[in-house]
Amino acid sequence: MSIFKARVKEFEDVLAPPQDEIDLKQLRRLAFNGVPDVQSFRALSWKILLGYLGPKRSSWASTLAQKRALYKQFIEELVLPPGHSNNGDSGSGDQADLRGVGLQDHPLSEGPESAWNTFFNDNEFLLQIDKDVRRLCPDISFFQQPTEYPCNIVVHSKGEHGRRLHERVVPAVLSSANVERKGLGMTKINLITKRSVENYAAMEEGQEAHWEVVQRILFIYAKLNPGQGYVQGMNEIVGPIYYVMASDPDLSYREHAEADCFFCFTALMSEIRDFFIKTLDDAEGGIKCMMARLSNMLKDKDPNIYEHLKTQELHPQYYSFRWLTLLLSQEFPLPDVLRIWDSVFSDEHRFDFLIKICCSMMLIQREAILENDFASNVKLLQNYPPIDINVVITHAVSLA
Amino acid sequence: MAKKTYDLLFKLLLIGDSGVGKTCILFRFSDDAFTSTFISTIGIDFKIKTVELQGKKIKLQIWDTAGQERFHTITTSYYRGAMGIMLVYDITNEKSFENIVKWLRNIDEHANEDVEKMILGNKCDMTDKRVVNKERGEAIAREHGIRFMETSAKSNTNIEEAFCELAQAILDKTSGRESAENQERVIIDRRNNDKAPGYNKCCA
Repeated sequence: MSIFKARVKEFEDVLAPPQDEIDLKQLRRLAFNGVPDVQSFRALSWKILLGYLGPKRSSWASTLAQKRALYKQFIEELVLPPGHSNNGDSGSGDQADLRGVGLQDHPLSEGPESAWNTFFNDNEFLLQIDKDVRRLCPDISFFQQPTEYPCNIVVHSKGEHGRRLHERVVPAVLSSANVERKGLGMTKINLITKRSVENYAAMEEGQEAHWEVVQRILFIYAKLNPGQGYVQGMNEIVGPIYYVMASDPDLSYREHAEADCFFCFTALMSEIRDFFIKTLDDAEGGIKCMMARLSNMLKDKDPNIYEHLKTQELHPQYYSFRWLTLLLSQEFPLPDVLRIWDSVFSDEHRFDFLIKICCSMMLIQREAILENDFASNVKLLQNYPPIDINVVITHAVSLA
Repeated sequence: MAKKTYDLLFKLLLIGDSGVGKTCILFRFSDDAFTSTFISTIGIDFKIKTVELQGKKIKLQIWDTAGQERFHTITTSYYRGAMGIMLVYDITNEKSFENIVKWLRNIDEHANEDVEKMILGNKCDMTDKRVVNKERGEAIAREHGIRFMETSAKSNTNIEEAFCELAQAILDKTSGRESAENQERVIIDRRNNDKAPGYNKCCA
C-alpha cells in the first residue's frame, strides 16, 4: 500500500510541480511503469504524452479552450446537415455561406459543389463507422450508456432529421422492433433481441450514448483526413482513449471528453496511420515492416519458436497484423489495454516497446507453441490466454 | 506434429462485405451459438471444426476475413490455399449483394481456379427488413454456376447444411477424379454461363 501511495505521490509531484514546466523525462519514466488508476492521472498523462498538451502548464488553459472551440466548429461544419438552423454563434452565418448552401443547392442536387451531394456521399463510410462503433467493447456496457455530457447541438434536433449521424444511415426502426419484442413474448426471443444491436440503441431526444459520441469523433476524423478516411480498427484505437477521457474523475475535464479525445486520437493516429493505409503496407513504418521487425526480434530471441512457426507455415500476419495495427487493444481486457498503452505512449522510440511486448507474449507461451500443431498455435495466438498483464510487461522490459 | 485425428483437411474461406455476418456464421457453425455483439474482424480469424462425410472425418479449417477494402492485401493471400470459399451477403443490405460480383472477381484473380464456391444470403430471419429477394440470389448463383443458400446464423438456418454441402463438393472433387478432369470442371465454372449451369449438381 505504501508503495502505491508513493507512486501516487510521485505522479502528484510530476504533474503539478512547483515550477511551470513538467519534467517530460520523469513523466515518461513514471508512466512507463503504469499510471495509477486514481485522480486524473491517466487522462492527463496521456494528453501530455501524446502531445495534446505541452509541458508548460500555463499553456494548458488556452490550448484546451482553443482546441475545444475548434472541435465545436468541426461539428457545426461537418456533422450538422447543410443549412441547419443553428445560428447561435457569431460567425457561423459566414460558415453557412462558405458551405455553398443557397438557393441553387438542394438535397437532390448532384453537382460536385453541392453540400447536399457531399452529405449523401459521406454516408458510405458513415455506414461502416456505424457498424463498428455498435460493436465496440461488447464485453463492457460503458459504450452503451448515456453520456452525462451530450453534444447539445446534436441531441436537440429541433425537429430536424440527420443531426445524429446514425440517423442518416440506419432507418428508424426502434418502435417496430419494440412491438416485435412485445408480440413475441417468449423468454428466449427476448434474450436474443436484448443482446442484439438494440443494446447499442440510440438515446432519446436530449441524450446520447457514448458510442454515438465515438461515432462522431471517427466521422469528423474521416472527414478531415479524406486521403485515409475511415478504416476498420480505428474504432478500437479511439475506444480506450475515449474511455479514459470520459471517465476522468475531474468533471471539468470529463465534460470535454469528446473534443480532448478527438485531438489525442488524431495525435496518436499521426504516428500509426501508416498501419491503416494499404498502399503503405510495404513502406517503412507500414504494417508489414512492423511485422517484420517483430519477426526478426523473435528470430533473435528464440530461433526455435521462429523456426517452428515457420515450418508450420504459420505466417506472422495471422496474428501480428492485428496485434500491431490495433496496439493490442483486441487481445486483452480494457484495463490491461490501458496499462499497456501507459507504457507504449511513454516510449520515446515509438512502438519499440510494443514490439517487445508482442515478442514477450510469444516467448511466454514457448512451451505451448513448440508443442502445438498449426491449428492450436493459430488459436493460441489469435485468442491469447488470460494472463497477469504485468508478467508480460515485466518480461518485455527484460528484453534488451 | 500431433497424431492425426482426421482423414482429410479442407481449407475454407469466408469473404464478403463488412457486417454481413461472416463471423456470426462461423461462430454458429463451430460453437453452435449466436451473438450479435462481435467485435469487427481485423485481418483474418480462424476456426476449426471436424465433420463426418461418407464415413470420413474431415477437418475444416475455416478462415474468417475482414470485409473492408483496406485488408484485401492481407486477406487475398489466403485465397490461394483455399479449397472452398463462402461468399456472404446480407439480404437486408442491397450494397452487399451488388458487391458479390466484385468478390467473385477477387476470387478469379487470387484463388485457385478449381476452388469450390458458394454464395450465402445471410440474415434470412429478418424478413421485415429484406431488400434482396431469394430469386435474385439464385439468379446470380446460376449465372456464375455456383451453389447458393439463404442462411441465418441467428435462427440457425442452413448453416450446418451450407458447410457440409461445400465440404461434400470438395470431397467429390478430391476423391476419385484427379487433375485431368479438373480442367474440364474449370471450364464449366468459368464464364461460359449460358451453358447448362453446374448449379444443380448438389450433393446428397
